[in-house]
Amino acid sequence: VLFLVAAGLQLVFGVQKILNLACGSFYALGAYAGVSAVAWALGHGLPAPLFVLPLLAGGLALAVVGPPLERLLRTIHDRDESFQLLLTFALVLMLEDVMRFVWGTAPVQLRGAYLVYGQVTVAGSTVPVYNLVVIAAGALIALGMGLLLTRTRFGRIVRATAENREMAAALGVDMRRVYRRVFTLGVALGTVGGALVIPATAAVNEMAIEVIVEAFAVVVIGGLGSMRGAAVGALIVGVLKAGAIATWPDVEMLAIYVVVIGVLVLRPAGLFAGATP
Amino acid sequence: MRTTRRQFLTLTAAATAAAAARLDVAPAFAQSGPVKLGVLAAKAGVLAPVGESGLRGVQWAADRINAAGGILGRRIELVIEEESSPKDTVERFRKLALQDKVDAVTGAISTGVGLALGPVAEEMKTIWLSWDATTQKGVEETIPKPKYSFRSTDNECEAVMASILTARHWKGKFKTVAGINPDYSYGRDNWAAFLAIMKKHGIELSVVSELWPKLGATDFTAHVAALAQAKPDLIFSCHWAGDTPIFLKQAHGAGLTRSTKLVLTTGGGVHESLKKEFTPEGAILGYNTFYFEHAKMSALGKEFVRWHQEKFKEWPNYESDHGYFTIVAYRAAVERAARAAGGKWPAQDAIIQALEGVEAESLSGSRRYREDHIMEATFFQGTTTHKNKHDFVTIDPVESMTTKQIQKPSGVGLYDWINGWKV
Repeated sequence: VLFLVAAGLQLVFGVQKILNLACGSFYALGAYAGVSAVAWALGHGLPAPLFVLPLLAGGLALAVVGPPLERLLRTIHDRDESFQLLLTFALVLMLEDVMRFVWGTAPVQLRGAYLVYGQVTVAGSTVPVYNLVVIAAGALIALGMGLLLTRTRFGRIVRATAENREMAAALGVDMRRVYRRVFTLGVALGTVGGALVIPATAAVNEMAIEVIVEAFAVVVIGGLGSMRGAAVGALIVGVLKAGAIATWPDVEMLAIYVVVIGVLVLRPAGLFAGATP
Repeated sequence: MRTTRRQFLTLTAAATAAAAARLDVAPAFAQSGPVKLGVLAAKAGVLAPVGESGLRGVQWAADRINAAGGILGRRIELVIEEESSPKDTVERFRKLALQDKVDAVTGAISTGVGLALGPVAEEMKTIWLSWDATTQKGVEETIPKPKYSFRSTDNECEAVMASILTARHWKGKFKTVAGINPDYSYGRDNWAAFLAIMKKHGIELSVVSELWPKLGATDFTAHVAALAQAKPDLIFSCHWAGDTPIFLKQAHGAGLTRSTKLVLTTGGGVHESLKKEFTPEGAILGYNTFYFEHAKMSALGKEFVRWHQEKFKEWPNYESDHGYFTIVAYRAAVERAARAAGGKWPAQDAIIQALEGVEAESLSGSRRYREDHIMEATFFQGTTTHKNKHDFVTIDPVESMTTKQIQKPSGVGLYDWINGWKV
C-alpha cells in the first residue's frame, strides 16, 4: 500500500516535476470513500465476500478529484519547489477539513469485511486471507503500471515527457492532456491504496500526514521519479519497520531514517535514480 | 454614499464616547451579567472525539443550570476555544483570561497541554478546572501546591484498578506478559504501574514484549506479528483513542485474541467502536469514571444517557462526566462561598477556598475535589461480554473502585504508596 502512494507521488513528480504532498490526502480520501461505498453496497444486499468490488470502485471513483486539482496545480507548475510544497500542503489541510466535515472526527470503520475470507496459517503464524489479497493487489498494480509504462503508446508518451518535456511538446504531444491523465493516475494509485487498507484498520482524519512522511522516506530511498525505486523503497521501509518492532521496538522510526540518511550520504539521488519512471 | 470628513469625525467621536461609557459600566455589569466560563475542547486529531464528549457534558450542565435560573441568578455563558498543541492552548487560555475576562476555565485532556496550562493558570490568576489533563510529569506532581489549578484524577488510576483486577482474577494463571501502550507519558506510566503492582502481588512474570506504537497509529500489523511471535499469556494495553479498535481488529485477524488474556485499562473511552466481531469476551475493560449502562446509575446519569443517545445517536463516555462535574462543582463552590458571604457573589479567593473539598452530584454519582485540588471519583471496569443488544462489547459484571482505593494520597509517591499496600 505504501508502494501505491509512493508510486503515485513518483509518477506525478517524474512527469510534471511537482512534489505533491497531497498524495497522502488521496490515500485518506480513498479510505473514507471505500468505507462509504462498501457500507452502501452491503446495505443494498451485496453478498459480503464481494465487498472488494465496491471497495475498489469507491477508491477509483475518488480519482475524479484528479483533473480539477491538476488544473489548480498547473498554476504553480514552473515555480520554485517551495511554492509547490506550500500549495500541496495547503491542500492536505483543506482536504483534512473536508473529511472532518463529511465523515466526522470519530474514526470510521468498515464492519464485517476483514475476516470474510477467513485466515490461513503461514509458517506457524495466522494471517487473514485479506492481507494476502492486498499483497497480491499491490503486486498486480505494480505489474500493470510496468506494462502500462513500457508497452503502451500512452506509456511511451509519458516516459518521453518525463525525459524531455520540451522535445515531447515539440513533437506534437498535447502536454495538458498528458498532465491531466498522469495526475489522475497518480491520484487513483493513492485512493485505491487507501481503499485497500481500510478493512484492516479505520479511517481517521490525520492518516494523511502519517502516510506522507513514510512515502517520502520511500521516495528518498528509492530515488525520486523512479517507479522501481518506489517498489523497492516501500519494501525496505516495510521490512525495516517490522524487523525493528520485532527485535527492538524503540528504534522503529530511527531505523528507517538511519537508512534514509545512509542513502542520502552514499547515493544522494536514491537507489534507482536515473531510471525511467 | 461617501463619508464626508465631518461625518467621519462625528462617528469617531461617538465611538470614543461609547467605548468610554462601556469602560465605566463594565465593572458594574460584572456582578449582574452572565458568569463567563471558558472551555478548552479538542476539536481535531486523536483527541477530537474525547474533546467533543467533554464539551457535551459541559453544555448539558450549563443548559440545565441556566434553565433552573443560573448560579445565584446569573446565567452561565460559555466561551468555547480549542485545545490543540500546548503552546497554542496556552495562548487561548491567556485570551480567555485577558480578553474575554472569564470567571473560570474548564477543559483540557492532554497531559502535555496540562503541564503547560498549570503554571499559566497560576500566573494569570484564573481558576482552571481540568477534565482529564494532569500536571504530573512521570508520576511526580509538578505543581505540588497550586492555587488556581484544579486537576483531574491521576493518570495511573485506571492501570492501578485494572492491575488489581488482573491479580484478583488471574493470579497463577499467567506467566508471560506483553505490553502494547501508546508511546508517551500516559502509556509509559501505566505500564510501569502495572509491573509494580504485579510485583507487589507476588506474581512472578516475564515480560516477553514491550511495544510502543505512536498515539493514533493506524497500522499495527508489525506489532501484532511481534506479539504473535512472543506468545504472551497476557497482553496489557492502555490504548484509549481511535487506535484501540484498529489494534484489536488486527490482533484478532492474527488469532491473538483467542487464547490470550487481555487487559484494556481505558478502551471504554471508545466503547462503541469495540465491535463484537473482533473484541473477545472475558477481557478486562475499563471505562474510566462513567459506564453508560451501569444498572445502579443515578436518575441524573440515566437522563443524560437518554438525552445523549437521542441527540447524537451515541452512548456517552467518561469525558462528559468529567466536563459535567467541573461545572456543577463550580456552582456548588460559588453557592457555598456565597452562603458565607451573606448571599453576595463571592470573591475569587473565596470560590477557590470553597472548591477545596467541594462535593457535587455528577453523572456517575457523587464526586469531589480533594484539598490538594485533585479530583475524587469512582472508576468502573469489568469483564467484557457479547450478551447485550449492541453490536459492541459491554461489561458484566461491573466492578467499581473509588479513588480512595486506586489513587495515591496527597503528597506520597506512587511507588512508595504501592509498596506500602497490604496484599
